[in-house]
Amino acid sequence: MTTRRFIVEPRGLASTGLILAVPLLSVLLAVIVGAIFLALTGNSPGEVYVKMLDVSFGSSRGISETLISATPLILTGVAAAVAFKMLVWNIGAEGQFLMGAIFAAGMGIWLGDGSPAAVALPLVIIAGAIGGAFWASISAVPKVYLGTNEIITTLMLNFIALNFMNYLIFGSSSPWRDPLVPQFPSGRPIPDSGRIPEFFNRLDYGFIVACLLAILAWFLISKTRWGFEVRVVGDSANTARYAGIGVPQKILGVFLMSGAFAGLAGSLYVAGPVGALDPRSLDLGLGFTGIIVAALARLNPVAVIPVAILMGALNNAGPALQSIQVPAATVTMLQGAILIFAVAGEFFIRNRVRRPEKRLEALEEVSAA
Amino acid sequence: MNDSTLILTLVAAIGLGTGLVFATVGEIITERAGNLNLGVQGMMLVGAVAGFWATFNTESLLLGVIVAMIAGAAFSVIHAFASVSLRVSQIVSGLALTIFGTGLSSFLGEAGEDPLVGNPSKATFEPILEGGLADIPVIGPLIFGHDLMVYVSWLTVAAASYYLFHTRMGLSLRAVGEDPASAESAGVNVARVRYAHIMAGGALAGAGGAYFSLALVPTWQNEPIGASGWIAIALVILASWRPWRALFAAYLFGAATRIGFTMQTLGEPWSNIPSSLLAMLPFVLAIIAMLVLASGKRARFLGAPAALGLPYFREQR
Repeated sequence: MTTRRFIVEPRGLASTGLILAVPLLSVLLAVIVGAIFLALTGNSPGEVYVKMLDVSFGSSRGISETLISATPLILTGVAAAVAFKMLVWNIGAEGQFLMGAIFAAGMGIWLGDGSPAAVALPLVIIAGAIGGAFWASISAVPKVYLGTNEIITTLMLNFIALNFMNYLIFGSSSPWRDPLVPQFPSGRPIPDSGRIPEFFNRLDYGFIVACLLAILAWFLISKTRWGFEVRVVGDSANTARYAGIGVPQKILGVFLMSGAFAGLAGSLYVAGPVGALDPRSLDLGLGFTGIIVAALARLNPVAVIPVAILMGALNNAGPALQSIQVPAATVTMLQGAILIFAVAGEFFIRNRVRRPEKRLEALEEVSAA
Repeated sequence: MNDSTLILTLVAAIGLGTGLVFATVGEIITERAGNLNLGVQGMMLVGAVAGFWATFNTESLLLGVIVAMIAGAAFSVIHAFASVSLRVSQIVSGLALTIFGTGLSSFLGEAGEDPLVGNPSKATFEPILEGGLADIPVIGPLIFGHDLMVYVSWLTVAAASYYLFHTRMGLSLRAVGEDPASAESAGVNVARVRYAHIMAGGALAGAGGAYFSLALVPTWQNEPIGASGWIAIALVILASWRPWRALFAAYLFGAATRIGFTMQTLGEPWSNIPSSLLAMLPFVLAIIAMLVLASGKRARFLGAPAALGLPYFREQR
């Protein structure tokens, strides 16, 4: 028989240290890969990384901008985390985010100046959640009732939502478009009553709301009866069926919840820093980055918060790199590399790898013979 | 007659579809081995930048395509290692490949002292026949009016179809995609087959990406392939995992991509339809096709490999 070089065994419960070490190592290895590519293209990796740290954390304004960038990522990260945990492959957070932004801006513009903030602001934020859940339902309902693969439908809906937003701003004179600057297409600003107040430089309370929503998602999944049943379905649909849990309803519920969280990212972004349906500020791939956030947080909604801050810091540093002649795409490259290492690290969390022991091997050979 | 809107649209559809043909056939080969690689978009972009770079430095189109294929195949090894050797989720691993590839491609296009971005290609694919055969009504432009890569894509489709359904290796490849445990009992090395065909898919995706940067959009810009990598994944299902059907499905999507331009040439009232609405067409088409063709058990009848998306645990047989 051939001797095996490594023995791979499933690990029961991984230790906390290992669970923390894998994401940290993923980031470190991605930084090294990034450094190699930076050095190969004639840049100084040290200079680039120092610049990134300085932009994102070096000043109070930098920190507030980092947290602004993190806010939508917390929610798109939670959207991916709750869905992936159930093996619902919602790759459509991008589209649900944009549809949330469209609904939220629409609500703000429709309400106009007349209503008080206490009424307008909640309505604007909820409209975003409805928009995201609605967009998710186009994939979720066929998945649950017809068995249609949601990977493709959610993906395609991303591009439809993006083109729809472009249509509202660039292709038509819709209510979303600012009538005051007809020659330069841009989003109509939503009234101040629909805007979230700022408290730290440009940082608004949307960041706090996003953190609370992430904790709420964790509570719903970990601490409620509904969440328990959802987790049973995620582990084994058959077990759930024997236990009398309505599997289709659970999948539909989680899918819509995932869409609603992505939509909330859109409404908090519109009601917060952006203030209008502005395609230039919204088409940044925040939905896809949410998948990285969820994977690095190992699908834990609360762990999403610090990871989203890290990714927000990277996003925030991107544009500043251009001032030192380094491509902004460095950031996307680093984020992709982080995800690859985090995905590979999952293997080491689940399995133990060891060298075969000589004595045992001999025993195995004897018993095999 | 050869200047009619219909003929011009069909010719353009074949051109626009050719990048998709390569990528879709590549993904069919990968998925037939039971591996779903959502990294097509990333592999195409890496191929696009590598091919553009090689042609930019050597002025050789042949070298451009070869380098693109090598780059696509090398890049796909990341997904092969994660999903076959480490057996992590194929879906997340493929997405990771796409995100990394997108960033890497834009980075390589913009980085350095003298970046590629904004530069026209030093050589581009042009129709190989001028006049003569290409002037024959209808079939002239449709059959004889293309550049070399279109004919290479037809050969690729024929070769892939023959390989999958008429060779011994094609049979073991399909066996691995249907029932890896039985294939292994019959002496097939499941991991090796999956690695090889993930890399074959990567090479073809790389060639598809290079077709964009060397023929369709021959000036380097970030993400020159649009959403083609994602479309290719949908096309695999519409083509029901068969290369010949992929050819026509890709041309259908080529036509759908072209529709905005066609409407402009038709004048009023067609040219009044906003281009952003027409740009939705390929994606709407993909969703409708998914709902009609590939819902529930029908996907299995279409020919979906039974073990598609599942990691293979040799020790747990």
